[in-house]
Amino acid sequence: MLSYAMKRIMQLIVTMFGVVTLVFFAIRMIPGDPAAAMAGDNLSGAALEEFRRKLGLDAPLWEQYADYLLSVIRFDFGSTITTSLPIAGLMLKALPITLMVAGFTMLLAVLIAIPLGTVAAFLANKGKKKLDNAITWTAMIVDLMPAFWTALLLMLFLSLNLKLLPASGAVSFEDPSLMLKRIALPVVVLAVSQVATLARITRTAVLEVLNEDYVRTARSMGMSEMVVVFRHALKNAMLPIITIVGLSFGNLLNGTVIVEFIFSIPGIGTLLVYGINSRDYPLVQNVILFYAFVFVAINFITDMVYKKVDPRVQF
Amino acid sequence: MENGATAGTINRPAGKQASLTQPLLQVQDLHTHFFTESGTVKAVNGVSFELQRGERLAVVGESGSGKSAMAMSLIQLIAYPGKLVSGSIRLDGKELVGLGEPELNKLRGSAIGTVFQDPMSSLDPVMRVEDQMIQPIRMHLKLGQKEARKHAVDLLTRVGIPDADNRISAYPFEMSGGMRQRVMIAMALSCRPKLILADEPTTALDVTIQAQIVELLKTMTETTGSAMMFITHDLGLVARFAQKVAVMYAGKIVESGTVGEIFSSPKHPYTQSLLKTIPSVSGEKRRRLLQIQGLPPDMKLHITGCSYKERCPAASERCYTDAPELMPREGGQSAACWLKNGLMTEGYESITTLLSQGEKPEAKEGWNRIPLNGSVSEQPDSPGDDNVVLRITDLHKHFKKASLLPWKKGAEIRAVGGISLKLQRGETMGIVGESGCGKSTTARMLLGLDEPTSGRIEINGSIQIVFQDPYSSFNPKMKISDIIAEPLHVRKIGTKEERLRRVRELIKKVGLDLSYLSRYPSQLSGGQRQRVGVARALALDPSIVVADEPTSALDVSVRAQIINLLCDLKEEMGLSFVFISHDLSTVRYISDTIAVMYLGEIVEYGPAEEIFVHPAHPYTKALLAAVPVPDPMIEGERTIEQLRGELPSPANPPAGCAFSSRCPHVTAKCTERKPPLRGYLERREVACHAVS
Repeated sequence: MLSYAMKRIMQLIVTMFGVVTLVFFAIRMIPGDPAAAMAGDNLSGAALEEFRRKLGLDAPLWEQYADYLLSVIRFDFGSTITTSLPIAGLMLKALPITLMVAGFTMLLAVLIAIPLGTVAAFLANKGKKKLDNAITWTAMIVDLMPAFWTALLLMLFLSLNLKLLPASGAVSFEDPSLMLKRIALPVVVLAVSQVATLARITRTAVLEVLNEDYVRTARSMGMSEMVVVFRHALKNAMLPIITIVGLSFGNLLNGTVIVEFIFSIPGIGTLLVYGINSRDYPLVQNVILFYAFVFVAINFITDMVYKKVDPRVQF
Repeated sequence: MENGATAGTINRPAGKQASLTQPLLQVQDLHTHFFTESGTVKAVNGVSFELQRGERLAVVGESGSGKSAMAMSLIQLIAYPGKLVSGSIRLDGKELVGLGEPELNKLRGSAIGTVFQDPMSSLDPVMRVEDQMIQPIRMHLKLGQKEARKHAVDLLTRVGIPDADNRISAYPFEMSGGMRQRVMIAMALSCRPKLILADEPTTALDVTIQAQIVELLKTMTETTGSAMMFITHDLGLVARFAQKVAVMYAGKIVESGTVGEIFSSPKHPYTQSLLKTIPSVSGEKRRRLLQIQGLPPDMKLHITGCSYKERCPAASERCYTDAPELMPREGGQSAACWLKNGLMTEGYESITTLLSQGEKPEAKEGWNRIPLNGSVSEQPDSPGDDNVVLRITDLHKHFKKASLLPWKKGAEIRAVGGISLKLQRGETMGIVGESGCGKSTTARMLLGLDEPTSGRIEINGSIQIVFQDPYSSFNPKMKISDIIAEPLHVRKIGTKEERLRRVRELIKKVGLDLSYLSRYPSQLSGGQRQRVGVARALALDPSIVVADEPTSALDVSVRAQIINLLCDLKEEMGLSFVFISHDLSTVRYISDTIAVMYLGEIVEYGPAEEIFVHPAHPYTKALLAAVPVPDPMIEGERTIEQLRGELPSPANPPAGCAFSSRCPHVTAKCTERKPPLRGYLERREVACHAVS
C-alpha cells in the first residue's frame, strides 16, 4: 500500500509540474500585452513600463518561468491586481465554503444515488422491468436538466413560493444553522444532476455484478438477497462507482462556479468569476492552478480508495 | 483424520432414521422454461428421476440439453427470465417446489451444496476466502465466529489445502484454479449437505488437477455419505466417477441406468452414437470417428414426436408423430426410444458402421490451386529439398516484467526454455501439456505474433492458425464470405472475382453449404464456426496450419466432426498440422508425432502411438493416467498414480529437472542436474535420468 502510494505521489508531482507550466505559458499566449490588458485604459507610456517592471514582465521568458515556479513552490501566489489583496488569503477564505458545498453535494448524491441504483439493478435482475424503467427514465430526464435551470426552478418554488429556504445571501461560519440553510439550495441543485448520473452508473454496475458467477455461488449457499446485493454485488460494483464519484467531483467544481454565482455564495467559483470580469490575470491563473490541484488530488484519493476496495489492483 | 468428526461426518438427528428407505431426491415431471423475447425456451421439459442416499449420479448431455438448468431448478436458482413452471422436487420426502425464499435459503448451502464449473469466477474476488466461507457456516450451523472459522479451516485441510489456517485469509486471486475449486468444494461441503450438485466441476481445470479434484469429490462423498449429482459432457469422467447415469437430450432424460449398463449396452440411439464419437487415449485407435449428423432441435419450437428423430439413423414414421416416454428395459435401465435396443436392434447394426464413415466430403475432385500473384505460399517443389516444412532450433521466449520502482528488480518468466522440433510435410505434430507449459507461446512465436528471445524458426512455405474459441475469434459484424476472404484481401491477392471463387471453393472444402457465405457468425453453431475458422486458415494455401485447442470449446459430437475434417484435409492437401491441445485423446487421434511439454521444455518426443502405448517420461505417464477412459470396467481396475501438487511457477522453476517437484520417482540426482533430451529406443527422445 505504501509503495503504491509513493508511486502515485511521484506521478502526482510530475502532473502538477505539467499543470503549472501549462498555465504559465497559456496565460502568455493570450495575444497582446498582458500588462496593458490588465491595466486597461488607466496607464500608458512610462507608467505602463513601470507597471510591467512591477509585474516582472520585462525579464526574459525563462527567468519569468523560473520565478513563477519558485513562487509556486513557496506557495507564494502574489496579490490581485485590482485590490492588491494577497491571493492566498482570498482563496483560503473562499475554499472552505466551496469545499463544503461540494462535499455536502457529493454526500447527498451518494446517499441517494447508490441505494436507488442498487434497487433498480435488483429489480432489473428479478425481471421487474416496469419499476426499474420508472427509476431509470426519471434519472435520465433529471440528468438532462441543466444546473442553472434547476437552480432557478428550485429558487422559484422553495424560496419564493414556499419561503422555506433563503434564495441567496452571505455565508459565514459564525452562524452554522443559517449557513446550512444558505447552502442548502445550491447543494440540492448540484446534487440533482449528480444523483441522476450516479444512480444510472450504479444500476449498470450492480446489474452486471448480479450476473456474475460468484453471486450465484453466494445464492447457492443460502445467502439472503440483502446479503447478496449489499455484501457481494455492491462491494464489487463499488469499483466503477468510485471511479465515477472521483470524476464527478471534478465536474462538480465546474458546477459550483455557476451555482455559486447564481446564489451569490462567496466561494472559489465566485472568486474566479470576479477575476475574469475584472481581468485580474494573477487571480485567474492561481484559481485555475487550484482547480487543477484539486482534480489531481481527487484522482489520487480515488486510486487509494480503489486499491483499498479491490485487493487485486496492482501497479 | 482427527477432525473428520467435526468437519464432515453426518450427525443427523435420530428421528430421521425412519425415512432412510425412501430415496433422497425424487424429481417428478420437472419443467423449467425461459421466457425470452424471441420465444419460450423449454430448457427442462419433463424430467423425472430419483437419487438414493450417497449415490453418485452423472447427468450427461450436450450444451443446451438443459442439464444445468435442471440442476439449478433443484435449488430454484434460475436466472431471469427462467422459471420453474411445474413439477415436483422432493428432498427427504419434503416438497421443495412452492417453498418461499426464506425456506429455500435454509436448504441452499446446508441440505444441498453446489460446486460450479469455473473456479476462477465463482468466488467473490474482493472478499477473503474466510469471509465467504464463514458466513454460511454461521448461518446454517448456528456456530459462533470462532467455531465457524475452525470448522472452515478443518474443511480446507480436508480438501487438501496446505497451511489452511493461513490460506483461509487469502483472496481468491492469490490461489490457483485447482486451489480455488478445492475451496468451492469445501464451501459446498461446509454445512453437511445430503446432496451435492456439481456442475461441470472439473471442466475448467488441467487434466492432472482434474484427476485430483475428481478423486477428492469421490472420497468426500464416500466419507460424508452425501449423494451427488454430477453434470458433465466428459464420458470418461462419468466412467471414472459415477454409479448411475442419466443422459439428457433436448430438455429430457432419454436414457438412464447404472454406469455399467450405459457403457456396456446403451439402448438409446443418442447414447449409442455419443459413445462412438469420442477418441480414446487407450486401446486400439479407431479408424475414423463417428459423428452425429445435424444439430440439436431449437428449443423454442414445439417438438412433435421424438426430439432426436432428425439426427437418428433409425428413425421411423412413428418417431415423427409419437414421442417415446422413458420406458424401463432390463435391470434398472430405461430409455426413451421405440426400438428396444436402439441402433443395436436387429437389422440396424449396419447403420453405425455406415455412419462411422461420416460425411466424408463428396468433393474429391482435387484441390485447384489458383495461381496467386505475389503469393507467399509458392513452395519450392524441387525434389532435392528435404520434406521438412518446419524446423525449430533452440527456441526461447522469456518474458521480463520490469518494476516501476528503480530499486526493485524485475521478474523474468521463462515461458519457453529452449525447444527444438522438426515437422515433415503432411505430418501432424501434437504438442501437449498443462496450461502454463508454454505450448501457446510456442504457437504465437511460430506465427510471428511474438518475437522469440533467441533461437530459430525456419518455415518452408507459410503458416496459418485455427483459434480455440470460434465464438470470439471472428468479427461479429463481418459476413462469413468476408471473413474467409480477409487474408486474401490483406495480402492483396487476386481480383474480386478470383477471391470469391476461392472463398466458394474453401467453404465447400470444409463441408459447409454456399448459402452460409452471406450469413454472420452469430447465425452459425459452434461447429460451423470452427469450420469457417479452418476455411480462413486455408485461404492463403499454407503449408502448415497451427491449431490451438481447436475443439476444446465444442461439444463432443461436434468435436468429432472437426477432427474428421482436419484429418481429411491433411490427407487430401498434404497439409502439415501443429496441433496444440490438452485433450490427450484428441491429440492421439490426430497426431503422427507428439511433443510433451512441461514448464517450457519438451520432456518427451516421438511417434504418437508409441508414446501413448508405452510412455517413458514420468510426466507423460501421469498425464495419460489422469485422463479418464470412457469405460467403467477399465476405470474400475485402474489404480491412478496421481501427480502431487501443481505446476510450479515458471518464474521460479525447481532446480535440476523441472518435473522433480512433482515426480513420483524423484531422486537426489534429479534435483541437482537437469536431464537433457536424449534419444530413447529408435525414434524417441526423453528427458529423464531414470530412462535410458
